[in-house]
Formats: sequence, structure tokens, C-alpha cells
Amino acid sequence: MKKRLLIANRSEIAIRIIRSAHKLGMLAVVFQSDKEPDALYLKYADEIIPARDATTEKPIFLDAERIVNLALEHNIDLIHPGYGFLSENPDFAALCTENGINFIGPSATLIREMGLKTVAKSMAIEAGLPLVPGSDGAINDAEAAKVYAEKIGYPVLLKASAGGGGRGMRIVEKPETIERHFKSASDEALAAFDNGDMFIEKYLQNPKHIEFQILGDKHGNVIHLGERECSLQRKHQKLLEEAPSASLTPEMRKDMGDMAVRFAKKIGYFSAGTIEYILDEDGSFYFMEMNTRIQVEHPVTEMVSGVDLVDWQIRIALGEVLTLKQEDIKLNGWAIECRVNTEDPQNRFSPQTGFIDKIHFPHSNDIRIESGVQSGSVVTPYFDSMIAKIIVHGSNRQETIEKTLAALYEFSLIGLKTTVPFCRAVLQHPEFVDATYTTRWVDQVYTPEMLENADDEMIGALAATIMYASEYLQLSSDLPSYKNDSLNVWVLNKRLNY
Amino acid sequence: MGTSYIYKRDASRLFIALRDNGKRYKIYIPKESEPVIDGEEYDIDFVEQEDFHYAFDWKGKRFHCELVSRDQNKAVVKVNGVEYKFSLESLFSYIRHGMIGKDDKSIDENNITSPMPGKIVDIFLAEGDLVNEGEPILSLEAMKMQNEITATCNGVIRKIHVVQGQSVMKDDLMVEVTSIDV
Repeated sequence: MKKRLLIANRSEIAIRIIRSAHKLGMLAVVFQSDKEPDALYLKYADEIIPARDATTEKPIFLDAERIVNLALEHNIDLIHPGYGFLSENPDFAALCTENGINFIGPSATLIREMGLKTVAKSMAIEAGLPLVPGSDGAINDAEAAKVYAEKIGYPVLLKASAGGGGRGMRIVEKPETIERHFKSASDEALAAFDNGDMFIEKYLQNPKHIEFQILGDKHGNVIHLGERECSLQRKHQKLLEEAPSASLTPEMRKDMGDMAVRFAKKIGYFSAGTIEYILDEDGSFYFMEMNTRIQVEHPVTEMVSGVDLVDWQIRIALGEVLTLKQEDIKLNGWAIECRVNTEDPQNRFSPQTGFIDKIHFPHSNDIRIESGVQSGSVVTPYFDSMIAKIIVHGSNRQETIEKTLAALYEFSLIGLKTTVPFCRAVLQHPEFVDATYTTRWVDQVYTPEMLENADDEMIGALAATIMYASEYLQLSSDLPSYKNDSLNVWVLNKRLNY
Repeated sequence: MGTSYIYKRDASRLFIALRDNGKRYKIYIPKESEPVIDGEEYDIDFVEQEDFHYAFDWKGKRFHCELVSRDQNKAVVKVNGVEYKFSLESLFSYIRHGMIGKDDKSIDENNITSPMPGKIVDIFLAEGDLVNEGEPILSLEAMKMQNEITATCNGVIRKIHVVQGQSVMKDDLMVEVTSIDV
């Protein structure tokens, strides 16, 4: 009998996981949330479980108990959590396991340990990974924070122990403000994660975000699949990623990769995982954290390594031995991923909700599209604004940048604004082209004027004029003295000739 | 006429699109040829039109335009995902609002006066017509020779002071032209 894999997620990642489930001969089961009952991913599933989450604020994807109960009712063998939602919730993983459902990911214990940054960091120290200078453990009052800050020097970063996505995080430039920042960050963390513990560490002025992809099995085998650079972030949300990173030398790559593997082995890690480093201008790097899920940006690694990470996640969960050896991993060329978020880059990335009247993706052998929407889809306020990812592969970085830019020009979406023009601006910016961009690029360098372009502006003027002219000429033609042949013939001609 | 002029008389097809950053485009949409933008003909293909969505092909690329909002003569157009705001005027309202032809000197310069005494043989254009620089406006006969009097700028014929068959003296004002080159 075919194994039944339930995806506790939605949108593009649900479709991505369905693809792997089918490849491995499994039945893909998904939830139909009342918050988006016509979602595209439903079309790809073999079975749909109605979630009946219309009356609760919490969508089904966040309701661990209901997910497991429904899974049991529907004889589910495995659950894939995707990313976000409950993907890094140890209680959910434990609940699955207790009920005899195979959770696709590491153990609940590993998720819990990596989720607590103090624990993760002490484990990293044990494995010999460098850490950003800072407090060794959680600090619980502003006074202690002040003492640490004096020791490591300002600016310092306050971070919630249980944090993520930028919540509970503050940069403190001078001693006078540390008390105030500590309190607000701690309160925020308490509200968001039910844990007000804080860390303090040195704040790097021009850091890059480099992460290594890990695959480990349940038999102690661990390999890494190279790095991704995800320095392009806004409020700690990634917007564009590339693999590999132009900022690493082969020696650095080997060092960081070996360390990542050593760390994963030390903690007995299995499944797909990501070791995040922060890279300073001088080439020194520090361990940041480990993510215990499949990541949004996993396709860039798949494009350059040729390894299907989701397939392996599932196979590892089933107890298979990771047959790939480190020496089998050959990275080929370059890949860039652009996230298509329905956010307005001309207006502080404010979220856009509503109908996608028409969406068109670029097509080519070098382009991979992961989309959760189609023409006619609705973007609701209930979920994340990421609707799709455009991933492009090329033989080198320069070529990949050019191909990606061309792909983004081919993309079109009528109805809502997206981050695609933002990605185009990034790809053309000298700091991206020479790979010196840092995680501060969006805050410090980006301006909405970068989105504009003289050709687009002129075409816009033409379009506006045609719209105005067709009305104006129609009005004029109603005047008695006017010849009634004034319909915009150029417009019609062009349409007929095409 | 051997030469083909880009402005084809009908001045009601000339518009001015003014962007919120001050950039101005003079756009002429002829009936059967390519659009003229700031006096230059562009090989832009109009490939799609659907309610508030237009698509053009130009320079081997597709440009998707979406009318985002419209309030009287103000329009916000999204091109390739980025919004641009324009206010639109017909040439006539533009002139009426004094945004063109305000400068008296420039008017004087472009008006057509008679270069010599003679007789108006023919007038090729009418008031309100668009005229191209170098395009004949009228024919003046003097000393048994017919002289074509041409426009000194791209502009619109504001007023014609002469009629066919009329005799004129040297320096008589014959035609007033408002330049659209400014």
C-alpha cells in the first residue's frame, strides 16, 4: 500500500513537497483551509482534508493537536511541516512521534535544543565553532546587559533567546539607551515566544549572512551541500538568495563547511538543516544558529548541487542511509532565487492583498518556478506575502545575474504589486554586482527611486496618454464640428496586426 | 510633398504627460503610424489591450502597463511592476493654461511674416493644425515666382491673418504659430 504523506503547510512549499511525495511513490494529502479554500496547491494533492478553521483565528497549519488528530483519522504515515508554521515547533514533532506518525525533520529534542539559542551556542562552542563575542548565556536584566556591553564594546545587539524573524531584537548604540531597549525587546519576546530571555552580543557593522546546507541521516552520516548567501534582507526577512557566495574563498568554504558538518555530527543531527554564519568584512565568521527545517531558499542549493533536498528529507525520515558522500557533492555554476512577495517596494514594502488578475512566469530550462498562485488567485491577509519564487541557474555569477534580470523582465503580474522590481534593482546595483552587499543594504542603500527606469517611465507616459486620449478623442468626436473618424486607429491597427 | 512629416496636422492627437517628478513628455498619437514622443517617432508595438491593462513591445522587451488609478486628468500607471504618476493635458488645454507659448518673444520668433511684397497663392494649413518645422504653410507669389513659406518650428497654427488671393506688404504678419518645441 502506498504511504500517505500529509503536508502541514500551504502554497508553493506544499506543491514542492507533493512533487517529492509523488516521486517517491506516496500519496500526498493536504489541508484545505477555510482561509483560502481555492488555493492552488489543492489541485496537486491526491487527497484533501477539510480543515474547518473558518471560525478560529488560528489557521489549521498552526493547530498541532488538530493536525495530529486529523492525521490519525486519515491514516497518515508521515507529516511534512514545510517551513514556518509548526516546522520548528518541538512539541508538534513530539506529538507526531507519540502518535506513531513519522515527523519529517529532526527529533523533537534536536528542534528544542536548536530553538533555544543559548543551548545551541553552548553546543557550538563544544564543537569548536566561533561565536560572536557576547554573553555566554541568557541575561535577564538590563543591568547585566550593561555590564556585558561595556566588556564587548558598543554597538551591541540584544536578541531574544527564543526569537526569530527579527522579533525581540534591538541594536544599542550607546549606554544611555540600553535599559529602554532591553525592556522593550524583552517584552516583545515574552509576548511573541512566551520567553523573555535575552542575549547580548557584538554588533557587526557590515555583516553578510552565509548559511550552509546540511543533510544527515539517522545513522550518523552528515554532509554539507555548500553555502548560500542570504545577505539581502529586510527586517531579517530574506528577499533574494544566491548559491554559492562570492564572498568565500575555497579555504573559507572548506572551513565553514567542515565546521557545519562537525557541529551536526556532534549533536547527532539528522534530516535537512542549515547552519547560519555571520561573516564580517575582515573574513572572520561566527556561528549564528541552526535551522532545523527545509528553508525557503533551498532551491538555489538544489540547482547548484543537483541534489533533491526534499526527497532526501523524506527518505531520511524513513530511515534510509544517506548514500551521498561529501566527495560526491560537486557544485556546478551559480543560482539566484528571487522571492515574489505581494509587497509594495515603492511604499515601504507594505503588504498587498487582493486578486491576482493575471500572472505570467518566465520559462526556460535554466529557470525554476515555485509558485503557490495562478491567474485568478486571491492573496489574503491571513498568510505570508510570499506567493512564488523565481530561481535561475547559470554557469557563473555574472551570467546568472543577467539571466535572472531577463527572467524578471519577463515576469508580469496584473493586479498587485510585488517585490520583483525590487529584485531587478538589486541585480543591477553595483554593490550586488561586485558582491559587497551586506545585510544592511535595504536599510542603508536602497531607495524606491532605484526601481524606476527611463524606458519604463516613457512607456508609462505613452500608456497614460493613450488611455486619456481615447476618452478625449471620443468626447471631441461628439462635438458637431468634429469629424467622426477619431477613434484611436493606431491602437486598433496595432492590435489587428499583431 | 517629398518629405514625410511626423506631425500629421491633427493637433487634438498631441498630449502632454507630466510626471510628478517634473519630467514632461509630448506625445503625439497619429492615426496610422507610430507614436511620436518628444518629436521622435518610436517603433513601439501595441500588443495587448484589456480594460486597464496595456502591453507594448519595444527594444525586444515586453512592457506591461496597468492603470492603477485615474482621477480626472491624473493617472497612475504601473509599468513592469513600478508605479508612475502623470497628469495629462491635451495640447490645447496646455496652451490655454499658459504652459506653452507664454514667452512673447518665442511667439514673435515663430510667427510668419511676409519676407517681400506679394500675393497669397495658396494656404495649405488651417487654424488649429499642427505644423512641422520646414513644412510649407502657404505659397506667396512675388516677382512671378511662387515661394513656399515654411514653418520655423514644430508648432500649432494659432491664427491665420491672410486669405487666398490677398496681397501683402513686406513684414506683414501672415500666420501666428505657437511652438511646441519648448
